[in-house]
Amino acid sequence: MSNPQREKRLRKIAVAGSLEKLAAIRESEQSRLSAEIVSSPIHTVVDSLNELHDELIARTIELAEIEMARLGHGAPPVPYAYLLFGSGGRSEQTLNSDQDSGLVYADPADDGKAEAYRAYFAQLAAIIVRSLITIGYPPCEGNVISSNADWCLSLSEWEGKIGRWFAEPNWENVRYLLIVADGRPIAGDLSFGERLKDRYFNDMLGNPVIARRMLDNTLRHKVLLGVFGQLLRERYGDDAGSLDIKYGAYIPMVNAFRLLALSCGIRETSTLRRISALQHAGVLTIGEAENASQAFSFFLRLRLLATVASEDGHRVNTGKISRARLTKELVGPLKKALKTGKYYQRKVEREMNGRFGGR
Amino acid sequence: MVKKSLLAIGALLVLFPTLAFADDPSVAQLDMGLNAIWIMVAGVLVLLMQGGFILLEAGSTRMKNAGHVAGKTIFTLGLCSLIYWAVGYGFAFGTEASESLNKFIGIGNFMFEPSLAAGEGEGYPTSIFFVFQLAFAAVSLSIAWGGFAERAKLSAYLIFTVIFTAVIYPIIAHWIWGGGWLATDGAQDYAGSTVVHLTGAMAAFAATILLKPRIGKFNKDGSANEILGHNQVFTALAVLLLWVGWFGFNAGSALAVGDGFFGYVAFNTQLGAAGGAVAALLISWLVKGKADITAMLNGALAGLVAITASCAYVEPWAAVVIGLVAGILVFFSSMFFEKIKVDDPIFALSVHGAAGVWGTLSNGLFATEELVARGVGKPGLFYGGGGEQLWVQFESVVVCGAFAFAASFIVLWIVKKAIGFRVTEEQEIIGLDLSEHGNYGYPEQMKKAGTSV
Repeated sequence: MSNPQREKRLRKIAVAGSLEKLAAIRESEQSRLSAEIVSSPIHTVVDSLNELHDELIARTIELAEIEMARLGHGAPPVPYAYLLFGSGGRSEQTLNSDQDSGLVYADPADDGKAEAYRAYFAQLAAIIVRSLITIGYPPCEGNVISSNADWCLSLSEWEGKIGRWFAEPNWENVRYLLIVADGRPIAGDLSFGERLKDRYFNDMLGNPVIARRMLDNTLRHKVLLGVFGQLLRERYGDDAGSLDIKYGAYIPMVNAFRLLALSCGIRETSTLRRISALQHAGVLTIGEAENASQAFSFFLRLRLLATVASEDGHRVNTGKISRARLTKELVGPLKKALKTGKYYQRKVEREMNGRFGGR
Repeated sequence: MVKKSLLAIGALLVLFPTLAFADDPSVAQLDMGLNAIWIMVAGVLVLLMQGGFILLEAGSTRMKNAGHVAGKTIFTLGLCSLIYWAVGYGFAFGTEASESLNKFIGIGNFMFEPSLAAGEGEGYPTSIFFVFQLAFAAVSLSIAWGGFAERAKLSAYLIFTVIFTAVIYPIIAHWIWGGGWLATDGAQDYAGSTVVHLTGAMAAFAATILLKPRIGKFNKDGSANEILGHNQVFTALAVLLLWVGWFGFNAGSALAVGDGFFGYVAFNTQLGAAGGAVAALLISWLVKGKADITAMLNGALAGLVAITASCAYVEPWAAVVIGLVAGILVFFSSMFFEKIKVDDPIFALSVHGAAGVWGTLSNGLFATEELVARGVGKPGLFYGGGGEQLWVQFESVVVCGAFAFAASFIVLWIVKKAIGFRVTEEQEIIGLDLSEHGNYGYPEQMKKAGTSV
């Protein structure tokens, strides 16, 4: 898969020595890609966009390591991995996604080292987060971010934490489990990711009921299609007449397939790959998988097209398709895709009810 | 105990022999007495509906206007009573007009002085009839205030109360209830879907058009903002008060205890209200994806408004249908008014207007032959009466609606040109409690908020 354009970009990113350069590369690459949203097949746009994000973030991490050395802290004392959660973890970032991240490092040999490692990685994470803000990735509002000490831990601390979440599945802990399910290592020693997943899926097997709790945690966001097949649009305010594509279409499908994948032990994090893995596992028929992929790709495209309001210079994705964009030509296929989304939301709900009984 | 009582009665008989030998009241007198009690109770129930309007209007609007909204209802009730006594009642029910003039308006009984008791052959004392009718006029007036809410000047309330109670409402009441031309045509409006509710709604419509929407209701691109009322519990309680009061409104309109027919009227009233509440909640759930409390409350009221015209003329199943349709209608009607950018904070146009029209027309569809024998019209379309009654009902809706709208519009237009109808932008923003009355209805909450303004 040699793509000359991509190679060229990689080289440019690899030699970029400052955050300003990275920001400039991001700007020009994104404007090139945003022109392709309508014309190219959506998965190629989403894939190249997410490769771009991955490359930019990885290079930012390298620059942060250099900065740490320059500050006199030396190289990382032990191997570590930088983790992406949320849309970054699912490789589904938009042109303006925020940072959801974590950091995992090798266990220290003794307590004395523990403090030193903690201090080193805390400072590294702080620099990475600050740098990413500089090149246009706003921090996560929910504080799921590597600069938060709760999300910057050694491997055994992470494992202990996941164990505690499984042991006490209250609303907040289940939310964390759902976040971590989409986690993906992006830089450093990628094997840490697998080891955390081992722990996760092991606990999952021991607690099948957790799937039920996960379902309860995600049902709040319904597919915005009414009983009469009508779109459930925003009724009031500046966004009146628009459709919340993020929470009314995209997120419900992400939730549905995450849950199906988790309960089948599938470790993929991208929704499209989860769908095809579910097909290989025999959970979805070929027809179902194709249908679901098509609907989801459609939502991905709309999500990229969602209104970009300018808020003090920052680009923000409201996740809503404006009334003006919802033309007749769009509404037809949109309704069809929403129907598919609703079908899977119901299917997952039914399956969980069948397995664990109703509430 | 028994012994003591007998002894006491015996002593009393010795002292007051007339007690035992007074003339027994005649059957007619007893009948009149029972009627009088029932109409009085009903009148009080209708008067208590003002409490419903206070809570409805205050609950559906913002905190900064709460004291004004609540207090002005009591003030205008007082003013309305004086005007109706002096003038309005005479125009509605006066009997001294010539035959041709009487088609349009009644004359007589100005500064009404009722007789001390019911006269020979009267079903009830006129004093009680007056109280009952006054309560209706006051309800119609309070409905109109829905269109004024949160932005009209207090002086406009004063002027409009005088004209509405003296002329506009009495003329329509006379046309349908006072022996005017629509009554002669056979228009049936048992307790006032048109007379009270549509008239009030049309006045509200004229007001809201002349006032224009509240600041912040609509955006430049035409999309609407939701201006939520400050207390949904008030609004719900308001609906319950109105619902209970409606038994006076409808069942009281029988104006007699007689053979107990007023019970049937009350029975249908309950079915209509219930249908409205249920249908509105379900339709909002289906259409918007969320079960809307405000829509449901409006549905209950719409069911009541709609059944008001027909409660004495239809079978129970039809009462249910009338209520259900009203509940659905009020939901779509409120969306429609918002779409055409008419700001209707209390939903008066939908609840009292749209449902009032439907209720009046429904009479032409569902009125049964047996029941219209007690009224002035003919059976409806579904009971073999053909379209004749429906046409008469339609005519009364159009004529009364147009008259109420035009008259209110002219009065308020003059007010607007002469002294101004709407408060200033600044006054609207700080709230009418402060601008019109000098004190907040919720002083603690508002002072805190006021410091940041």
